[in-house]
Amino acid sequence: MKRPVVWLAGALAVLAAIPFVFGPLHTNLMVRLAIEALFAVSLNLLLSYTGLLSFGHALYFGVGAYGAALILTHLQGIPILVAVLLSALAAALVGLVLSPLLVRVRATAFTMLTLAFGQLMFVLCSKFREVTGGEDGIMGWTTPPLALPGLFSLDLRQPVNIYFFAVGLACLGILAMWFFTKTPMGSVMISIRDNQKRVDYLGYQVVLTKAVIFCFSGFFAGLAGAVYAVFNNLVSVGGVLHIMVSFQPLMAILVGGIGTFFGPILGSGLLLLLEEVTQAYPELALMISGVIFILVVMFLPGGAISFGARLRAWWRKRAYLRKARESEA
Amino acid sequence: MSPETQMYLAQGIHGLAYGMLLFLVASGLTLIFGMMGILNIAHGAFFMLSAYLCVTVLGATGSYWLSLLIAPLGVALLGILVERFMLRRAQASGMGHIAELLLTLGVSLVLAEAVKLTWGTEGLQVNVPSALAGLVNIAGLEYPIYRLFIIVLSLVVLALLSLVLFKTRLGTIVRAAVSDPGMVSALGVNTQIVFMLVFGLGSWMAGVAGVAAAPILTVFPGLGDQIGMDAFVVVVVGGFGSLFGALLAALFLGELNAFGIQFIPKLSPVLMFSFMALVLAFKPTGLFGERE
Amino acid sequence: MRVLQRTIWWGVAATVLLGVTLGTGPAQAAGAARGFNASAVADMTGFDPAKFENPSGDVVKIGVLAPFSGDAASVGQIYWATGTWVASDINRRGGITVDGKKKKIALIKGDTMGKPANTKQAVEKLCLQDKVDVLWGTAGSHLTAIIQAEADKYKKLHLNSGSLSDTLMEGKAFTPYTFQHIWTTHSVGATLAKFFATRQERKFYILNQDYVFGHELAESFKAGLKKYVPDAQIVGEDFHPLFNKDFAPYLTKVKASGAEMIFTGDWIPDSSNLLKQSRQMGINLPVAGIFLDDINGLIAVGPEGSKGLVFASELLINFQDGIQHKWHEAWKTWAAPYNTPLYEWLGSTTGAYAESLYWLLDAMERAGSADAEKVIKVWEGDEWTGLIGQKLTMRACDHRVVRDTYVTEFVSPNKWYKDCAFMDKITTIPAEFVTLPQPKDSSRCK
Repeated sequence: MKRPVVWLAGALAVLAAIPFVFGPLHTNLMVRLAIEALFAVSLNLLLSYTGLLSFGHALYFGVGAYGAALILTHLQGIPILVAVLLSALAAALVGLVLSPLLVRVRATAFTMLTLAFGQLMFVLCSKFREVTGGEDGIMGWTTPPLALPGLFSLDLRQPVNIYFFAVGLACLGILAMWFFTKTPMGSVMISIRDNQKRVDYLGYQVVLTKAVIFCFSGFFAGLAGAVYAVFNNLVSVGGVLHIMVSFQPLMAILVGGIGTFFGPILGSGLLLLLEEVTQAYPELALMISGVIFILVVMFLPGGAISFGARLRAWWRKRAYLRKARESEA
Repeated sequence: MSPETQMYLAQGIHGLAYGMLLFLVASGLTLIFGMMGILNIAHGAFFMLSAYLCVTVLGATGSYWLSLLIAPLGVALLGILVERFMLRRAQASGMGHIAELLLTLGVSLVLAEAVKLTWGTEGLQVNVPSALAGLVNIAGLEYPIYRLFIIVLSLVVLALLSLVLFKTRLGTIVRAAVSDPGMVSALGVNTQIVFMLVFGLGSWMAGVAGVAAAPILTVFPGLGDQIGMDAFVVVVVGGFGSLFGALLAALFLGELNAFGIQFIPKLSPVLMFSFMALVLAFKPTGLFGERE
Repeated sequence: MRVLQRTIWWGVAATVLLGVTLGTGPAQAAGAARGFNASAVADMTGFDPAKFENPSGDVVKIGVLAPFSGDAASVGQIYWATGTWVASDINRRGGITVDGKKKKIALIKGDTMGKPANTKQAVEKLCLQDKVDVLWGTAGSHLTAIIQAEADKYKKLHLNSGSLSDTLMEGKAFTPYTFQHIWTTHSVGATLAKFFATRQERKFYILNQDYVFGHELAESFKAGLKKYVPDAQIVGEDFHPLFNKDFAPYLTKVKASGAEMIFTGDWIPDSSNLLKQSRQMGINLPVAGIFLDDINGLIAVGPEGSKGLVFASELLINFQDGIQHKWHEAWKTWAAPYNTPLYEWLGSTTGAYAESLYWLLDAMERAGSADAEKVIKVWEGDEWTGLIGQKLTMRACDHRVVRDTYVTEFVSPNKWYKDCAFMDKITTIPAEFVTLPQPKDSSRCK
């Protein structure tokens, strides 16, 4: 019981130290990591835990981001946390509205239906430029400080403050999802992945459980989107609703390790790192990403997180063989 | 014919021509899906690559007909290599369909960048072959011959495909493998080779479409993006794996596009995805599909 | 060894050139306005953008913000090629005098990937890590608005050579650190309308890309017509998706509308596809636009298909003019794969990009410093002679350029290309008719 506490404290200490050790540039990188990781974990709830592949998760991310942008632009004086939570709730609401259609389908049909809804939202938001600003998007609103009256007031334009805001919300969100997978409902969710019919026969509410998962996953994707909006101080159709926004967390899950809870976080980090490294050769960046996806699928299907396990297995085998040789000698 | 009727007739033929081109792209996609359960995201990239190969062959030989022959074969060969050396391994990884999806996404990224390194980023042009240039009179309407040629070409490919699928032993095996690959394999058929050939055939069709489209479009690295997405919609609406469904859906979307632009241009792109969502919501297998 | 040899050789060349420049110096000081001097351009033999190497030591750093990856990578390539051309020219001349010594120009890529969030990151990297002196970019007003906000935050000079939006320098968006060198959508509409006032066409069909820029251009064209051609009619208006495949349904509508001229703000590949498909359909209506100088696309429709196109630009090289001709000859020496019409034709895009950099570097040299505040002081209200000898004024209060604009009708045969129609006579539209009025809401403009 003690070890996890130590680990957690250590991780928190490292996280807290980052903005003071690194400059604003790398602190911002960590903010992006927080957003990407939260988004990827929310999608992973569907993919690894419910067995549903979505091609339209940008829908929730986009609703959260546009929600935050619209609220902060039009409702001045609203506390920032309320604005962000309302935006996430809006995304959850979208999940709720779509769930009657989404719960009915599985496998590729589910993938395609999510693709259709994601693209529909993309096209609609591009069309309604009066509200969304189209490609130009919404930008330049004044973000209120993160404040508790009389106690503190943090200007979120400062890299350090936005860092704690984003990383804090991302950690809370990821923790909430982690506990969700441990609840009885989380177990039902995994059973649905393994055998939906059997769960149904056992008397569990498959439809209801799925609907709750869509809302839950949508909520945290929306939260990621809202934090994105606050961090960038801008939201545009291409930036938050494009199909590549849906693909990004999928890649993170794959690279990190599908079927695990923490893989997507690792994957998000690795992808950001890759982007940083290839920045010097922008003409080759996409080519390198493409090659890496191909290589991961072909040679490391468990993702980077399985690499440690493989290494450990290899090491154990080596140690065992050496021992065996020594005892022989 | 009154000018108004002429206009509607023209829109009707436009819809037919674009629909048939779309079918040419989508039929390869649906064939691969029906047979192997793979949604090939790189299909649009194959289409684009074929248009670039067409530019090169045209530059070397000066013959459009030769490029129509060679470029799709090059793409088919690439498809076969991708299937044999990459997809087969991905399918064995035990990650399910996400492995194939991400692998083909990776292939499409690599192709788009490779094309830029080989042919540059500038848009390239292919001319309509002189035999097909010009206009023909259809009941008073002057219509470009080349667009009619696209319709004819698609029909020929459709006919060839039907011939192979319904009149040959290979076709019987393919159709059997679509409904039950395990059983076909148990009967002693080497399904792996069949899969490889089908993937090659599907890629070849994307290639034919790429060469067919090149003379009316500027050849540039993003050429396959939009048509790839449209073809996706066709496959989904028509029903995964259903050739007949793809044909109907492609024609319907082609006409929806043409008359959508005529009557409600503001909502034209919204129509397609609304229709797709509507179909899926009420018939998750698509209009004529049996497999989810 | 070869490097050393080359250095000495360029040193000699630079000295000679410097001598030439100094020789003409007094004459300039006597009356001619400051500006671009075509005969001072260095010998650019062997120049290759792909092999551009940043000078070492104390340099002036320019961050180039453009899409270097993804679908719009061709735009990034144009920025890089033009930027390296200007930098190489200046470096071969020995650099510019800043802080009392000669400094050469270094260019650093910032990949926007055409996306907002990536643009922001790229700017942050350029400002915080690479510590550039100038941000130079970019196509897309949504991206330029971001660069502008960041430039204001980090107090960096920002040169906008790629976004035409009217509103970028107005209201809250204005920042003294940004200069909009490129013309604006208002000017585009006014220029073409003023041109059509002297001609017969009165029925126009607007066919634009369905995004913010396309809609803005349509509005500006309509406003221009209202002002200068009150009897003009808009017989139809359609907005098609970006990277559209099939233009036939739109063109059938255009044909049925009885239009005499199509106005389009499309850029390649849409502009070329629109042209190509209309000619294939036997619709030979002329098209008016600002991105019609895609030579590959023009050749694809041949001299007959490209005849009568109306092309407007803020910068057109006049073949008849001796100095301009010479300058263009110098410009044309591109190595593969840049030896294409896109680069060899010193067009509206490449030319305007180059011009903006030359002007900025000249202002910097006169300020004697790369410091943003000092350059701003010199550049505000600056009068300068542009690439083709035209008068440019950097309006002090809103940092937009006051300049004449140009329209030409493509004819065949012409002196440029034999496989397509191209420009011949150039009509100049004086600045007073096309310049965007000063913003009323600004406290700086009184």
